[in-house]
Amino acid sequence: MSIEVKNLVKSFEDKVIINDISFKVNDGEILAIVGFSGSGKSTVLKLISGLIPYDNGEIITSEGDIAMVFQYSALFDSLNVFENISFALRERKELRKLYNEEQLHEIVAQKLELVGLQGIENKFPSELSGGMQKRVSFARAIVTQPNTILYDEPTAGLDPMSSTLIEDYIVRLKHEINAASIVVTHQMSTITRTADRVIMLYDGKIVFEGTPDELLKQDTPYTKQFVTASLEGPMQMKA
Amino acid sequence: MFTIAQYWKKSATYKVFSSLGLETKHFISTIGQIAQMGLRMTKRIFIDGVQFRELFVQCERFGISSLPITLSIVGMTSIIVSSQVANEMVKQGGSGLIGMLMTILTVREVGVIMSGFAIISMIGSSLASELATMRVTEQIDAIDVLGVDSVGHLFTPRVLSGIIMMPVIVIIASVFGVILGGVASNIFSGLSYRAYFTSVWLGLYMKDLWVCLTKAAVFGGTIALISCTCGYFAKGGAKGVGLATTKAVVWSFISIVIWDMIFAMLFFF
Repeated sequence: MSIEVKNLVKSFEDKVIINDISFKVNDGEILAIVGFSGSGKSTVLKLISGLIPYDNGEIITSEGDIAMVFQYSALFDSLNVFENISFALRERKELRKLYNEEQLHEIVAQKLELVGLQGIENKFPSELSGGMQKRVSFARAIVTQPNTILYDEPTAGLDPMSSTLIEDYIVRLKHEINAASIVVTHQMSTITRTADRVIMLYDGKIVFEGTPDELLKQDTPYTKQFVTASLEGPMQMKA
Repeated sequence: MFTIAQYWKKSATYKVFSSLGLETKHFISTIGQIAQMGLRMTKRIFIDGVQFRELFVQCERFGISSLPITLSIVGMTSIIVSSQVANEMVKQGGSGLIGMLMTILTVREVGVIMSGFAIISMIGSSLASELATMRVTEQIDAIDVLGVDSVGHLFTPRVLSGIIMMPVIVIIASVFGVILGGVASNIFSGLSYRAYFTSVWLGLYMKDLWVCLTKAAVFGGTIALISCTCGYFAKGGAKGVGLATTKAVVWSFISIVIWDMIFAMLFFF
């Protein structure tokens, strides 16, 4: 087991966003969290990564780093690709002294090769396309060999080909580093091409849990409404 | 049918009080945020130390990029003051004291407060908008997720550069201000340079210098801390960045005036 979430609850002011949810993700497994906008998907990632505190419940993770790939990459725009990827190795006190400049260049080149982007160390994020930025953010996320990777809408805003490429890298990284991965998405291709299991959130609760095939079967009113993108069904879009 | 409570909630008096209450809450919460960030930064300095490369970069930004505008503002203020004062002083037979008056004014007040205003507009606004943009584009979240303390990483070099560079800027700006005061006195009231610069040292004591430098360091640290805090807690998109920048400028202005008052009361009453 790499991540276990037990009875997690999170409210903002008086509004309950995450209402008593529990799930597990094993090493080398990809869990997709799906749901309509505002269902609390990204909040779950922020709670697991420790960016926001939770009110109740428990998050148990194996020892090691948690990495996160952000929706809009969140690359540091004042730093070049090399500085972005090596950021944690240069800035974290416990890692700072482990690597010299030459070793850092070697590690960065290795990570860039893993995401198919050799030789762009000196470029700045503004000089890269959206898909390339996303892949650089993958490289930055895995530089500390994390045992958990969180992806927040990794294919949002990308063209279909770039999306396919990103989906392939998510699967490739799963095999390369055997991390437990959680992918927040509402894109069907990302769910079917990357996920081993899927949970669907609505109103802060899990309303479906199963495999991508089970989701596509549309056996429940929730899965049917989600897959057909219908406005009719148990899930109401909030204004 | 309306109840008394409903009438009360619709009344102008209720709206005024509720708006005042909300503003007070924001005010207290901002003070809390600034104090919290200051303490967290200090703690990170002891835990992580200081990244000297980044400190140097921020010192360069704080000092060199703001120097032209600071010199212009302090210089022009000195010209304005001396052009108005020198004529009257000469008429009243006090021409031998013009240099002294200008020096006291510049070292005790004009140099440091005008430099503070220049730094707020140049550096404070830039720090706030930089951190606010990083916040709304999730770059600050990325720093934290990568296992680096975002407050230590962003605040420490910026606030320390303010504390280090502000006294340097104030020294240069004050010397420049006193010299321009002499030039203006010469042009507008025919006062000789010799008469002006002989009296420059008459009213200047060591206490003036160290109070001036301490005040400058406090101003520099305050401006940087407030600006970084306002940017760090920005919310929303472009509008949030704008609001954070405005808040940083307003709070910095008010804070340095309050500090100035405290220093005046402590050392010159």
